[in-house]
Amino acid sequence: MRIHPIVYGILVVTVFVGIVLGFQAAGVWSTSGITTSDGKQVQPSTDDPSTIKGWMTLEQVSTTYRVSISEILTQFDLPSGTLPSTPLKDLETDTFSADALRTWLQSRMEPAASPPVDSPTAAAPTPQTASAPALTPTTAHEPAGYVTGAITVTAKTTIQDLLDWGVPQEAIQRVLGGPLPPLSTGVKAYVTGQGLEFSDVKAQLQAEADRVK
Amino acid sequence: MAQSNPARALSGSVKPRLQGWRALLTHRTFRRITQIAFAIFILYTAIRHTLVGESSTSAAASPEAYCPFGGLESLYKYITSGGSYVPHTHLSNLVLLVAVLSVAFLLRSAFCGWICPLGFLQDLVSSLSRSLQKRIPGLRRAVTSLQKRAAQLAVLDRYLRYAKYLVLAWAVGGAAYFGVMVFRDYDPWSALLNLAEFSFTPGLIVLLMTLAASFFIERPWCRYACPLGAASSLVGKISPVYLKREASACTSCKICTRSCPMGLEVHSATTIKSADCITCLECVGACPRRGALELKFDLPLVGK
Repeated sequence: MRIHPIVYGILVVTVFVGIVLGFQAAGVWSTSGITTSDGKQVQPSTDDPSTIKGWMTLEQVSTTYRVSISEILTQFDLPSGTLPSTPLKDLETDTFSADALRTWLQSRMEPAASPPVDSPTAAAPTPQTASAPALTPTTAHEPAGYVTGAITVTAKTTIQDLLDWGVPQEAIQRVLGGPLPPLSTGVKAYVTGQGLEFSDVKAQLQAEADRVK
Repeated sequence: MAQSNPARALSGSVKPRLQGWRALLTHRTFRRITQIAFAIFILYTAIRHTLVGESSTSAAASPEAYCPFGGLESLYKYITSGGSYVPHTHLSNLVLLVAVLSVAFLLRSAFCGWICPLGFLQDLVSSLSRSLQKRIPGLRRAVTSLQKRAAQLAVLDRYLRYAKYLVLAWAVGGAAYFGVMVFRDYDPWSALLNLAEFSFTPGLIVLLMTLAASFFIERPWCRYACPLGAASSLVGKISPVYLKREASACTSCKICTRSCPMGLEVHSATTIKSADCITCLECVGACPRRGALELKFDLPLVGK
């Protein structure tokens, strides 16, 4: 069958634009890491510094991770008069970047989970971690999400972590809607595999974890 | 044209020469309008992003959010991490990738020929070159001489065209392995979009080299290095759309071959199913005989 060149051109544009508009109409569209597809502003996750973005401000980071702005400025040799509303990307120097900040915050959050021999920053316990009350886990490691005394369900949290925190097996089964998967399974991986919404399950598990704190 | 092969009876008649406004009502005009529209949209996005920027209180999308190749670089991480992206990419990149590959599946690599702003930019430089050559005989002789010498390297050209598949493997594999866009610093498109931010990367050198080369050879980036074109061409191979040359109507005048921006030997093929064909249809528009070169739709791998 012969196709007229102009008809072909119209088809090309129609198919291309049509697919994009179709996705947009279905809400499957986002051009920025600042807002989600439903228009809400993206926030850094309290337990995952990798969610920090260059457009986020010092103040946002300070509030979310409970670290003073002056401590950040000192750590990275930044000018002491830096405004809290300054986006991280505007502060980039040889010694500071969003990546460096993520790494530093991560190392602050994980001193108990790994032997503090590799990183000098991790070796020095922060006031927060030094004062963290000891839980009584059944395993040798601190469960993922155990941060400065708080119990937080994260994408890395495993079923074993939940049990270690004291969350009853029945409660976990009720939230997951079935028998327990292998204990080393990550909650997010399992939930996603089951076609469930992780944020919903996370909230329910967090509620269970808060109940046993 | 028919005089060049008088022994053969030709089935196609000579196309009438369109005059006045009718001469503008062609697919070539429509293609240019489409290219210009998409280029203006990207330009507007880039200017707006530069002026407004991205902060926690305001968001003007980066033009990089509209790059389909970003979607391909982010695809592995998106699948394996359950919905996150490599830096500098968003959901829009994935959606555009789906759109580009769908177009390739249904209509061959038409994105490259009809929409891609980087392809359009190369077209512009080549048009400028042709225009200057018409006005400056010395330049025309120099370019012609250079092109004749380059023609002796046809074998090299054939093998260099595979380089874009290596670029594709490196860019996608690197992004999957390292979780960042390893190609971004070398990407001329990214370099162009970030010019206003004074972000000078090796990609800027690649961009300048591409534009300089476009003066002598059409679409050099698309021919040899574009990873998105490579991905699109692979999908386009199973498209039901193809070009067919009717030998009984063709005079082998080679106008089609000369007009092909991708340097394909159209005049000697029966069906043009090369992965490099961007279906810009310049050959169809240039062909002086009716029915000699047509765009066809057929079931994939059948009847071609």
